[in-house]
Amino acid sequence: MSLVEVINVTKQYANGEEKITPLSEVSLEIERGDFASLMGASGSGKSTLLNLIAGIDEVTLGYIFQTHNLIPVLTAYENVEMPLLLLKMSAAERRKRVEIAMEAVSLTDRASHYPRQMSGGQEQRVGIARAIVASPTLVVADEPTGNLDDETTEQILELLRRVNDELGITLLMVTHDVEASHVAKRWIRLERGKLVERAESAESRTESQKVA
Amino acid sequence: MIKFAPYVFKGLWGHRARTMLTVSGTAVALFVFCFVSAVQEGLSRLTQDKQSQRTLIVFQENRFCPQSSKLPQDYTRRIAKQAGVADVIPIKVFTNNCRASLDAIVFQGMPAEKLRATRDVTLLSGQWATYEQQDDGALVGQAVAARRGVKVGDKFSIGDVTVLVAGIFQSSTPAEENLIYTHLDFLQRARGRDDVGTVTQLEVHLSEDADVEAVAAAIDQHYRGGPVATTTRTKGMFQADTLADLAELIGFIHWLGYACVGLVLALVATTTVMSVQDRIKEHGVLQTIGLRPRRIFQLVVVESTLLSTTGGVIGIGLGFTFLAFSGLSVAAEGVSIAFRPTPQLAVVGAVVSVCVGLLAGVAPGLQAAQTRIVNALRHVG
Repeated sequence: MSLVEVINVTKQYANGEEKITPLSEVSLEIERGDFASLMGASGSGKSTLLNLIAGIDEVTLGYIFQTHNLIPVLTAYENVEMPLLLLKMSAAERRKRVEIAMEAVSLTDRASHYPRQMSGGQEQRVGIARAIVASPTLVVADEPTGNLDDETTEQILELLRRVNDELGITLLMVTHDVEASHVAKRWIRLERGKLVERAESAESRTESQKVA
Repeated sequence: MIKFAPYVFKGLWGHRARTMLTVSGTAVALFVFCFVSAVQEGLSRLTQDKQSQRTLIVFQENRFCPQSSKLPQDYTRRIAKQAGVADVIPIKVFTNNCRASLDAIVFQGMPAEKLRATRDVTLLSGQWATYEQQDDGALVGQAVAARRGVKVGDKFSIGDVTVLVAGIFQSSTPAEENLIYTHLDFLQRARGRDDVGTVTQLEVHLSEDADVEAVAAAIDQHYRGGPVATTTRTKGMFQADTLADLAELIGFIHWLGYACVGLVLALVATTTVMSVQDRIKEHGVLQTIGLRPRRIFQLVVVESTLLSTTGGVIGIGLGFTFLAFSGLSVAAEGVSIAFRPTPQLAVVGAVVSVCVGLLAGVAPGLQAAQTRIVNALRHVG
């Protein structure tokens, strides 16, 4: 087994209007006891890759919580803006990105509302906007529909599908709800800490799962 | 960091009751700190002022209360001729209370021309000419005027002394603003026939090259055989001796100032700890969306500093306003200490507030920064 395994890693950040991609779908393995040399011209992404391996830099990631976890003292707009405050960008660029994210989740008219003034579904949509606003490579969602009623669950799942299809963001969603899992393109099932099944299409999934 | 200001402000506003109580507590503590420090500053001004070290006060030997010191006025002429002496001012002092009091009224009678020449006073209302022409005219320090509600044209009486207020003055020496200046001969007559021709003390101004101790010793030596023996000290030492009991008390209450600083530290730290414990999950969320532990630490420290500084500035502002308008002072045996804070004290108070806020935020900040994300997100709060 490899000591270091890098699979299809992409690093991207914004510089004003321009999107910079210092790393694009890089995969490599380094075995235990190996002495590897990483070579490349200046600006080829060597240091970026090294920083990611060392954990100094972070893979751009968005996180959607089951319980929304919005900051209660901030408005919907400010909650969505929060991840952008860590990035170097102008206030105008920040505003534009927040507006796009709010529009993507159809909450432009709720921008100035506080979490306590919104329904569970609206809160979760703000959570999704917050997760995608920095244009992450990957968004992970921890039971994003776990606390929602059926109708709202459908709306949120549809939104996640659009995030994947239209924005091209990779999504990894954890759920115990088989119906909810239908929105995904791939399925991975764990049992007692072990991976027991992978499926690439709904048809290839086991009969037991379909019934469940 | 400034980008996170709305988060910090809204966090504090979101817990208004807690924020207000902490800011109020800090304000009260800094108000007391300001008050205590102003008293200390007043005492230091009286005893350590450079002018006080180059001016001598001749008082009757073994006398303490001004009413009991009676020096022949003709000592003035004899002392003025002594080597090293530039000028001598005969002063009659009358006070309504020789003991320590927060509302002692002290009259100083001296020749008008000496008053004008040696005291750095500016009339806020009234006229010098009126004072000089009016036999019972008086110039009232603005602190006394504020305390007693006195204005120009009023008749003002303490015991058997009644004066006509000819002017209200301010002085570069705050303690002077607790005095009422009258004509020397008026105050001598007002105190009865026995006081005519006597003064309470002589204020001796020395020439540049004079040896202060030698001049003082020579004066006392000359009058050792009478008719009235004298004790001569620098003005600073005279005031320190006169206020010795009060100085001891003031020396003790400066610990109260330190206690106030400790109180603010404990109060702000407690509030910040409570705030951090209330928001364990929130800090976990912030870390999840990308804030590093160092940033979380900074946010907590900024919050505590903001609490402490806001309270501090309010407390100092209230202290300055109160002391400026109340004209408060404490006097004993005719010498008064003015409670007037200086701009330096405001700066010290603000610096203390900021430092205490920074210090109070360290422990809660570390607690917030060291919380593991997974544990924080599982926290139910």
